Amino acid sequence: MTLVKEAPVRPAKKRSAAPAAGRRGRRRENLAGYLFMSPWIAGFLVLTAGPMIASLYYAFTRYNLFTPPEWVGFDNFTTMFQDPRWQKSVEVTLKYVVVATPLKLLLALGVALLLAQKRRGQGLYRAAFYMPSLIGASVSVGFVWRALFSDDAIVDRTQKVFGLDVGGWIGNPDYVLYSLVALSIWQFGAPMVIFLAGLKQVPQELYEAAEMDGAGPLRRFWNITLPMISPVLFFNVLLESIHAFQVFGSAYVVSNTQCGPADATLVYTCYLYQKGFKEAQMGFASAMAWSLVVAVALVTAVLFWSQKKWVHYEEAAK
Amino acid sequence: MGTSRNVERRTILKAAGATAATLGLAATTGCGGGSGSSGDGTVTLRYAWWGGEPRTIAIKKTIALFEKKYPKIKIKPEFTDYQAFWEKFQTQASGGNPPDVFQNAVGFLRKYDKRGVLLDLKSQADAGNLSLDNFRNGILVNGQVDGKQLGIPVGANTMALVIDLKAFKKAGVEAKMGWTWDEYFAALQTIQDKLKISGDTGYHGIMYLYDLYLRQNGKAFFTDSDLGFTEDDLTQWWTDAYKRVKSGLVADPKKIEQVQPKSGLSAGLAASEFTWDNFSIRYEGEGESDYGLAPIPTTDGKHTGQYLGSLMLSAFAGTKHPKEAAQFISFMVHDPEVGKIMGYDRGILATTEQYDAFTPTDANNKGVKAYEEEVAKAGVLGKITPHPSGADVIEAAFLRIGGEVSQGKTKPADAAKALFSESKAAFAG
Repeated sequence: MTLVKEAPVRPAKKRSAAPAAGRRGRRRENLAGYLFMSPWIAGFLVLTAGPMIASLYYAFTRYNLFTPPEWVGFDNFTTMFQDPRWQKSVEVTLKYVVVATPLKLLLALGVALLLAQKRRGQGLYRAAFYMPSLIGASVSVGFVWRALFSDDAIVDRTQKVFGLDVGGWIGNPDYVLYSLVALSIWQFGAPMVIFLAGLKQVPQELYEAAEMDGAGPLRRFWNITLPMISPVLFFNVLLESIHAFQVFGSAYVVSNTQCGPADATLVYTCYLYQKGFKEAQMGFASAMAWSLVVAVALVTAVLFWSQKKWVHYEEAAK
Repeated sequence: MGTSRNVERRTILKAAGATAATLGLAATTGCGGGSGSSGDGTVTLRYAWWGGEPRTIAIKKTIALFEKKYPKIKIKPEFTDYQAFWEKFQTQASGGNPPDVFQNAVGFLRKYDKRGVLLDLKSQADAGNLSLDNFRNGILVNGQVDGKQLGIPVGANTMALVIDLKAFKKAGVEAKMGWTWDEYFAALQTIQDKLKISGDTGYHGIMYLYDLYLRQNGKAFFTDSDLGFTEDDLTQWWTDAYKRVKSGLVADPKKIEQVQPKSGLSAGLAASEFTWDNFSIRYEGEGESDYGLAPIPTTDGKHTGQYLGSLMLSAFAGTKHPKEAAQFISFMVHDPEVGKIMGYDRGILATTEQYDAFTPTDANNKGVKAYEEEVAKAGVLGKITPHPSGADVIEAAFLRIGGEVSQGKTKPADAAKALFSESKAAFAG
């Protein structure tokens, strides 16, 4: 696998014998590098690192934006864990992550497998399948989605043909989250492209050898394709779950800025937004934000830990 | 990154120059958008409001009129819808940069007074920059909190029942002054039986309507600093509502949700809807039937609990141009031409100058005028109830939790408990 194939080449330790002029040159080169980077570094410090540190501080305060923040220790966290709406938002988010991520990856892999084969108009297909990923995050798509899944709209009418009458998904607390799941799945283009790249790296001779040994397509997929692309799969699982935890725009737009009905699309960030910007409880919102950071870090750690069991890097295969 | 081993001094200088330029640019763009005065003595005020497109078109016309009369004052408009307005305002105000003059409502007065955002306009009135005369029906009081004049009303409105005239006629039911809740729900039943549609779009989540109901029963939604009713009161209100949703008397909330931003009434999902009377103008444009205003049902056949509410104009306490802001507000609420342009978009015009200048010609505005006159004549109008700081958050919670009840997702008793607990947090915030 190209992504992680090459072990980093360690530079020889004792190179200090280099002439002083070279050292000066290198220093100058470094200086230029930092200078070029400085707009980014300044931006990072002012726009990312600064606000993050500030929000970490606010997480331990009561802060309504107008009066100075008042230190309350872990109060925000304890209130948060007892808050039924916070619990609901965690429940909704977990449900979304657990349902949307695997379905999206399954579809991405399925389509990638189809597109990996040589056929006419291949470029066109790839572009067409990738397209939704480019526009999917836009507000207008959220509106379109709302229109598609409303009462008596196309999805509802199609369902009725099959005798399933739920009267539109958008107003129904039991279904509306799945319209968001559908929106997420529809944007499978990005992981699909990564899967495609991974599939291209699988050496053909492995398949040929397996075929000679009499392995069928399923077996070839299970024993060759899957292990060979497992690093890519790992990468996609990681990225998509992190994305799913942060879902906001679609929930906000599809539910008409209310994260409802009946809090059915109250994803974590939606509640965070309500607390921060509608109710001006910035301390609470900051506490929520940092809890999300910790939760995502934990999930990432678990995934990294689990990769030993199912991700095969080429070195290991050798 | 770079492959060249020899980085020339010029490269470093160029990089440094680019960096400085970028940072410089950032610094200059960072301070745009403020209000201020230019060298020739011209003052610029930022004026913000919420509302739909017709309101924005009308307000822009009134701004042009003002600028013509006061060539030394320029107005920079800012407008969004209601939700976005208050989110943006909160951020601007906390950063010390709210608009100089802005549309305001009674639910926000105490909140932003507590945070020191609102200018007491009394001093400007005393200085002769703003007239507090000629307000109709004592409505000026709506902008007062603890003896301060924090807002100047631009219009007056009151809660009403908007009905689908055709549906009511077809079902043979009549909405009459002084009818009781029992009679109202009986009318909804008749509509359901005869026309096979629901009678109401969902009254249970409207805080202002529940306020009227409470006032009819000697209570009110708010006291100065707390809720003016008990958990049991609210449990009862929502228990009854849920029954009516289940029986179809009140429209299916799932359907109402999906026609938004259109109203359930104009979408034909039900035959009546409670709202502010000046909002009734939207229905004619949205729906296909004819719509009219009907009286609020009562408990005792007499008192509706109604009062005149209003939208108002407020100024930022820290504005650099309090005099000009006051002059602008005064012009906007008193100038007859402005009254003619605005009509009843923000309620019945608040001052006699504007009220006399505008004669409604279309059925909608005529209807609103007739309705308010009738209500005033009936002598049922009371004083506005207080709105403590946090009222806006509670209103949103009331709507949301009421929605959960009607969707069958929360039991009325739990819902009432939740509202009380959220209100406590909102008052403390």
